[in-house]
Amino acid sequence: MTTTTPQPLAEHGEAHGGHNMTGFIIFLCSESVIFLAFFSGYALLKLSALNWLPAGVEGLEWRTPLLNTVVLVSSSGTIVLAEHFKAKDKLWLFRGFWLLTMAMGSYFLYGQAVEWGGLQFGFTSGTFGGTFYLLTGFHGLHVATGILLMGLMLVKSFLPGNYVGGEQGVQATSLFWHFVDVIWIVLFLLIYVWQG
Amino acid sequence: MTPSPSPINRPAVVAVSLWVGLLIGISRWVGLQSYHWFPVQASNAAPLVDGLFSFETTIGTFVFLAVASVMAWVILRHRAEKYDASDAEPIEGNTKLEIIWTAIPFVLVMAIAVYAMKVNTSLGVLGPMEHIHLADAREQQGGYPGDRLPAESIEVVARQWSWEFRYPEAGVSSTELHLPLDQPVTFRLVSEDVLHGFYIPAFRLKQDVIPGRAINFNLTPTRIGRYRLRDSQFSGTWFAANQADVVVDSQDDYQAWLKQAAALPLQAGISDAVVEYQQRLQQTPTPGWATVKPAPPPQVNVPGSNALPHDA
Amino acid sequence: MCPDPMPFPTTPEAMTTTPSLHQDQPPLSWTRYFGFSTDAKVIGIQYIVLAFFFFLIGGFLAMIIRGELITPPADLVDRTVYNGLYTMHGTIMLFLFIFPVLNGLNNLLIPTMIGAPDMAFPRLNTAAFWLVPVFGLLLIASFFVPGGPAYSGWWSYPPVSIQNPLGNLISGQSLWLLAVALSGVSSIMGAINFVTTILRMRAPGMTLFRMPVFCWTALAAQSLQLIGLPALTGGAVMLLFDLTVGTSFYRPEGGGDPVLYQHFFWFYSHPAVYVIILPVFGVFSELFPVYSRKPLFGYVYVCLASFIIVGLGLIVWVHHMFPSGVTMWMRNLFMFTTMLIAVPTGVKVFAWLGTIWRGKLQLTTPMLFCLGGLINFVFSGITGIMLATVPIDIHVSNTYFVVGHFHYVIYGAAVMGIFAAIYHWFPKFTGRMPYEGLGKLHFVLTFIGANLNFLPMHPLGLMGMPRRVSSYDPEFAFWNVLASLGAFLLGVSIIPFLLNMISSWARGPKATHNPWNAIGLEWLLPSPPPVENFEEHVPTVISRPYGYGTGLPLVEHQAEIERQLTLQEASA
Ligand code: HEA
Ligand code: HEA
Ligand code: CUA
Ligand SMILES: [Cu+2]
Repeated sequence: MTTTTPQPLAEHGEAHGGHNMTGFIIFLCSESVIFLAFFSGYALLKLSALNWLPAGVEGLEWRTPLLNTVVLVSSSGTIVLAEHFKAKDKLWLFRGFWLLTMAMGSYFLYGQAVEWGGLQFGFTSGTFGGTFYLLTGFHGLHVATGILLMGLMLVKSFLPGNYVGGEQGVQATSLFWHFVDVIWIVLFLLIYVWQG
Repeated sequence: MTPSPSPINRPAVVAVSLWVGLLIGISRWVGLQSYHWFPVQASNAAPLVDGLFSFETTIGTFVFLAVASVMAWVILRHRAEKYDASDAEPIEGNTKLEIIWTAIPFVLVMAIAVYAMKVNTSLGVLGPMEHIHLADAREQQGGYPGDRLPAESIEVVARQWSWEFRYPEAGVSSTELHLPLDQPVTFRLVSEDVLHGFYIPAFRLKQDVIPGRAINFNLTPTRIGRYRLRDSQFSGTWFAANQADVVVDSQDDYQAWLKQAAALPLQAGISDAVVEYQQRLQQTPTPGWATVKPAPPPQVNVPGSNALPHDA
Repeated sequence: MCPDPMPFPTTPEAMTTTPSLHQDQPPLSWTRYFGFSTDAKVIGIQYIVLAFFFFLIGGFLAMIIRGELITPPADLVDRTVYNGLYTMHGTIMLFLFIFPVLNGLNNLLIPTMIGAPDMAFPRLNTAAFWLVPVFGLLLIASFFVPGGPAYSGWWSYPPVSIQNPLGNLISGQSLWLLAVALSGVSSIMGAINFVTTILRMRAPGMTLFRMPVFCWTALAAQSLQLIGLPALTGGAVMLLFDLTVGTSFYRPEGGGDPVLYQHFFWFYSHPAVYVIILPVFGVFSELFPVYSRKPLFGYVYVCLASFIIVGLGLIVWVHHMFPSGVTMWMRNLFMFTTMLIAVPTGVKVFAWLGTIWRGKLQLTTPMLFCLGGLINFVFSGITGIMLATVPIDIHVSNTYFVVGHFHYVIYGAAVMGIFAAIYHWFPKFTGRMPYEGLGKLHFVLTFIGANLNFLPMHPLGLMGMPRRVSSYDPEFAFWNVLASLGAFLLGVSIIPFLLNMISSWARGPKATHNPWNAIGLEWLLPSPPPVENFEEHVPTVISRPYGYGTGLPLVEHQAEIERQLTLQEASA
């Protein structure tokens, strides 16, 4: 937009692409407050509870979840690699690592589903059950969203003229994925590590 | 940019000082008036609260009148002439002034806050709050878990929509609250269903009653009379009708009342909600929207009254 | 960075070609206000008109409330109905009137004031707006579901809010929660848009400290939305689960804690009151200079004070819960933080007084609304300080003293400020002048009505009359009659307003580009502005706003721009 020729109106909307990342970061900051609310709710309910665990529940098994955690957190690394190759225009390597990240995310979700299936308590089993499913479920929803976004970006990488308007979609997805990982780490500490 | 220092204008300084003096006088007067805006003082908290309020009213009135004076002056004296569209002298700020009007409100509100905190401390209304299982409160119906109550404490049970007062030592229960004059009392506030508010305006005191918790609450009545206790935390359909009377008796009358009451058989206490609910059932079609059904009236020794004239 | 720096054409040839740019606009038909427009100026007006539609509904409910309260017994409507009415009144007024009307102002003013062609995300903007009628309909529909609408107050405190007497999944309360959640989504979408637009799309030369105060306050208010709303959403989701699937986050029987909900609710809803008042502070800061013909006094302090209010506003929420079972140290701590808010707010109030001091006041309709709003605000701020002191609050919380406090600030200050804004910017966005006579009548009725309505609520509260009651003891009757009369007067006051808006929009005198002789980028646009505002010809800002009397131009080539606009107006 450095010439005085008037721009056709329809095209102007596209010119605002540069703001997408700003908007997305603002969104993530806001989104993190929801988790903060759930975390503090969890902590407060736990601290003030007379009987935290429902009758017959001993505590949470943490070994398999720890494995899941390792997978999920490492996927933050694979997505960085993918982005790196994207920047170097090695599109196939990008796709590979991108797909690997998606697979790791899916493995995490699968692990979560298996864990849910084997638990002795449900959503309505007191505040422990409620907060446990609320937190893991809400986070799981974010993992699923992340995988979906990655799928979209993967498809886009095959379209002609892919990423010509910048790779903001890829950057945003990757940012989102890191966000989901960090949230999980806090969640894991709160729910599985802090069992005393 | 600071305005060019104008030469000190003696008459103006005198006039402003006089005006400020007048405002201070008016503010003090309004502050003293504010005592009349309250119901009678019937507890040890009331004079403290009213005194604090009077202090705040004085400051508040002064702030309000000062701002209003400036506005009135400007509106009267600094109006543009008709058809004068020209600009005024461009004064963009004055750092000294800005510091002053940051500092003065700061000092004023901190003074109020420190005063208020002192009042809080000397009131000491709040005892510890224990978490209880709601089920426990239910179990207590009819019986008095005396072993769990601090000495000299009256248990207040709030329900949708009635108030029940239990005197565990005397083995008395009532839907009218009787208190001895000049004796500190501790209440143990419990709710069996939703949030309620234990509020006696003549005492200037209020505390939410929270299901799942027992809250200890202290006060000392200081004036003989009949007062209103109002539910102050919205509790559903008959919230407005969930009122009870508080009777402050002399020591002797209070003891006599307790003795008399202990001899009375249990009967249904006051619940305006139950009465209105019965009337409502008779109407076809049922008026209004869906409602929670009121709990049955508590079984008490003394129903008392909530229709007698009250002092506040 | 957008919009791209764009030298204004200065050669005579270029000058003469510029106006033609503004003429190949699509024909402006009124029907565009009924469709999915992405133009912020259309969306802004859509927001405002829709908000006032809901204002009439909310006001109508208030009239019934005051009708019930004019006599002590519960005689006009059933108690269940009364509870539903006040709940819906509060909810509609806040979520369907005041937030949407402010977002309307944001849409109109932010892009034009900073010289952006539109919002950063026009489609997101459209979506955010169209959610409003959706959740509005949901809320109104809740009047007609079995069992009636939500009745637990706009706070929806559990356990009352999860009692659900009929046991239906679709109850007034669940629809209410859904509507509030959608409103939150819409507000977040809006907030992302406003913040991004302000941060990224300012005109060349417009540094943050050359930005109009309205944009500062919008930025501050929208930041509060972004931080606060998710907490409310989180709390509301948990409430919805308690209500519909039987979890026990707030259910004491299952070990839950009803007070936890109150923290979530007020962590947002206290900041929400500053979301309401900050843009109104912005309006005051814009209008006092115009109608006093003087620069804003202490511009930088006023800008910064907004963000101090944001910071403090986030750490005071417990003042709504003093009697709710919080411990003494919390009461004291939150009392101090709350009291501190008087300081930055005072800075603003005194800055406005400094602005009008020795000005050349023009008592136009917008100026009258500003002055009236300011004095009401100071009054309500002082009652706010009283509420902040714990011992006083213990006595008057949940009484009419609180109702008086917040209607003074919301109706007396915020709504009056919104009226001021509407009268002031009406010519800019409709191209027509509003009528002064009707405007002044509207002001007088509003000012008297509001004071008559809300002042008597203070003695009532001090005497101990609880709020949310459908019946009361006879000793409260006197002041209630006065309040109800004031309320009916307020109801009447809206008639000259509506008349003025409709008739002047339809056939009021044509407005020039700058009828109030105001300084600001929006006044360098034709009235109404073309779809993309300045398009590529965004002027370069070279000085601070509000240069009244300084003789400094706001932008490069200001004289040429103005001459052109005048020429264009003469030829039209
Ligand atoms: C736009 C809305 C708005 C605004 C701006 C405010 C502003 C303030 N409010 Fe208000 N408030 C509400 C809307 C608002 N409020 C609502 C809606 C409720 C009730 C909700 C409900 O229960 O349903 C409420 C309730 C409420 C309560 C809870 C009462 C209760 O439920 O028991 C409290 C308690 O602290 C409070 C305090 C304050 C304070 C200290 C300010 C301060 O920001 C005011 C600061 C301003 C000034 C002080 C005036 C200007 C300053 C000067 C001129 C300087 C000099 C001043 C002094 C030295 C005093 N408010
Ligand atoms: C933006 C916010 C806002 C606004 C503008 C108002 C405006 C008014 N409010 Fe509102 N009010 C609240 C927000 C607001 N209120 C909130 C949040 C609550 C708390 C709810 C709760 O406790 O949960 C409350 C509670 C509340 C109560 C307390 C109820 C109770 O506790 O029992 C009362 C009582 O007098 C009241 C009265 C009024 C009146 C008379 C007006 C007047 O200013 C209204 C003036 C009305 C008009 C100017 C329009 C008039 C329209 C007509 C005459 C007919 C139009 C007809 C149709 C086309 C349908 N309000
Ligand atoms: Cu932003 Cu062009
Ligand atoms: Cu508040």
